[in-house]
Formats: sequence, C-alpha cells, structure tokens
Amino acid sequence: MTTYLVFASALFAIGAYGVLGRRNLLIMLMSLELMLNGVNVALVAFSRGLPGGSEQGQIFVLMVMAVAAAEVAVGLAIVIAVFRNRRTVDTSDLAGLSG
Amino acid sequence: MDPVATITAAVGTAAALMMVTRRNPVYSAVWLLITFLSVAVAFLHLSATFLAAIHVLVYTGAILVLFVFVIMLLNLQEDELGDEHPLPVRALTAIGATALFGLLVAPILATPEFAAPLPPAPEGFGSVESVGMMLFTKFALPFELVSVLIIVAMFGSLILARKRPLGSDT
Repeated sequence: MTTYLVFASALFAIGAYGVLGRRNLLIMLMSLELMLNGVNVALVAFSRGLPGGSEQGQIFVLMVMAVAAAEVAVGLAIVIAVFRNRRTVDTSDLAGLSG
Repeated sequence: MDPVATITAAVGTAAALMMVTRRNPVYSAVWLLITFLSVAVAFLHLSATFLAAIHVLVYTGAILVLFVFVIMLLNLQEDELGDEHPLPVRALTAIGATALFGLLVAPILATPEFAAPLPPAPEGFGSVESVGMMLFTKFALPFELVSVLIIVAMFGSLILARKRPLGSDT
C-alpha cells in the first residue's frame, strides 16, 4: 500500500509541475487530470488498505471521475473558444486582463 | 515490496514525467494514456475491479479521446505551440514540485501501518454489486446530483464552443 500511496503522491506532484511550469493550455489540462488521478489512487488505496476501510472511497472516486469528465469538457471548450479568437494556446499570451 | 505494485508505480510515474515534459501535446496524450492504464492496473491490484473498468472507460475512452479530438481540431503548427517558460522558472517549479512530493511522502513512509501487507479483501469487495448497492442507497443523492452537473457541463461546453455568440443567428 505504501507503494501506491507514493505513486499517488508522485502523480500529484508531477501534475502540479505540469500545471504551474508549462504554458500550453492542453498540457496544463492533462496535468490537472494527472493530479485528480493521483488523488483517486490514494482514495482507492485507503479504502482497501485501512482497517475498517470500506467501498465508500470507491464511491468518492466515481464522483471525482464524473467531475473530471465535466471539467475536461468545459475546459476543452474554453481552449477551442480561446484558440478561435486568439490563435494561441500559450497562457502567457492570454494576459488581456492583467493591468 | 510487491513487484506488481512497484512496476505499476514505476511505469506510471515515468509515463507521467514524460507527459509533462513533451513539447507537442500529441506525445503528451500518448504518455498520458500509459499513465491512465497503469492507474487502472493499480485499481485492479487494490481489488477495485469495477472502478478499474470504469476508469478505462471514462479516462481512456472518453477524456483522452476528447483531448486527441481537440488536438486534431486545433491542428497546432510548430509556431502556434507558443514558448515555454525560461529554464530558471521551470527549474524552480520542478524544485517546488519535488518539495511537494517530499512533503506528501514523508508522512506516508513514517506510518508503519501503511507498510503492512494488505489483509485479504472481503468477498465481493469492489464488485459491481457491492459498489452499486452503496451508490444507489447511501449515496443516491450525490449520484443524482452528478447528473445535473453533467447536464450543466454539456450545455456549458456546447455554448462555449459555438462559432457565433448566442442569438446572433436569429
């Protein structure tokens, strides 16, 4: 179980790097998925390995998956709208709101 | 050390690292696929069989296909990919992410209960029957609310991705 918890932490940290350290909107969205996946692995590991753990953790994961699917649909729609208007997926070129 | 767990975690982590460092999103999507599959193997190994199936269906079957579809639709050329952050910024972010990883791992490694071998799973743990039973009794309300969320997301993305703003074509 330790291995999977370390795996979950690694996925979360790598996803955090992708969200903060990259400027491509698509890759940032993928990294967001990676972070959610890390959380999912941790939830499943805890639901299986902790004494008194039950399948409630798996229900949580199902909810996270549904939210992730909704988030990706909206996020990619935003990416398409942004690209149509500005011809870029680079977040640093999208600074129209910074003073 | 469980060899299945170690190999799964190593493959998944390596693929995730490759994913965040690729410049072209198409390659990132392929590496992300490998990460998702290793997460599914982790679910299987943790006796969450139903979740593993759903994970493959939702993540590789829907989310990743959506990503690839959008990448295809945008058809990014090399000059449209944009620049990356300068190396010092990326190095600093990498150090920050590594620190975050250390922060998360330290308490995990310090807890001896986590290192104990897993007890055998109860009969039917993680099966469709037991997860579904819980989903439709104790968690029926959140389950129904998720459908509202998905409807809202569907309308939201339809309206966002429209070519013309709403009302301009009437």
